[in-house]
Amino acid sequence: MLDENELWVLSFYRSSEISGSLFFGRLARSMKPGAIQRDMTKHFSDEAAHAWYWTSCIEELGAKPIKLSSSYQDQYLTAAGPPSNLMEILGITQVFEKRVVNQYGRHSQLPEINPIVQNTLTKIMADEKWHIEWIHDALKLMEPEYGKDLIDKTLKRFWEADQEVYRKTMQEHEQRLKYLVK
Amino acid sequence: MIDKNAVKEQIATFLKQPVSRLQDDTSLTSLVVESFILVEMIIDLQDAFGLRLVQEDMKDVKTVGDLTQLFVSRAGAAS
Repeated sequence: MLDENELWVLSFYRSSEISGSLFFGRLARSMKPGAIQRDMTKHFSDEAAHAWYWTSCIEELGAKPIKLSSSYQDQYLTAAGPPSNLMEILGITQVFEKRVVNQYGRHSQLPEINPIVQNTLTKIMADEKWHIEWIHDALKLMEPEYGKDLIDKTLKRFWEADQEVYRKTMQEHEQRLKYLVK
Repeated sequence: MIDKNAVKEQIATFLKQPVSRLQDDTSLTSLVVESFILVEMIIDLQDAFGLRLVQEDMKDVKTVGDLTQLFVSRAGAAS
């Protein structure tokens, strides 16, 4: 059975996966044909599947997902400002995905983790690693168009925003997230 | 060259809203509640007019008028 804090965290993961899926789904729909369109469509379908994995995980543990009004991505956009082109979208997503892998990795190492949660994290992390790879490759391909310097500067700016959002999230939800940072 | 009305029409098409709702002083956040949709709209406008913006360009853009002006001036600079 899930305690209140763990249910909140799993619901938070679910909500973030849904936001990621909706965003990439919309973008994939309007993207020009090509490698980025293909990978973005796969990315969108992965995020939707992850939202389903979390929903199913929570239900298997005898609970119901909590409805959360804002997602982690919303806070990113507030801190970093909305991206204005595809390179910036991929840049902010790259930073976000690394944060997700890091967070899921830490969660999966908790000594008393429920095996159902562990399995869900393991399944999702494999996909998340591919997300980082394809975006890394796509950003490399964009270097001639945007310039390596601009891409590096953009990533640096988003890294700084990431630190800020993470710090604020940990502060705001200290009680709920405490068990993850033991 | 593009003019303000062309930009407004593109915004209206994207948002499925009448152009008459898009006054210069209409704030973008009142038109687009989710910031993700605003991002998609900005990309759509760039595709439609063959322009490229960066985040810095959008720093002071708060209203429909700011946005149309940005596209008109960028198109002028590019031509």
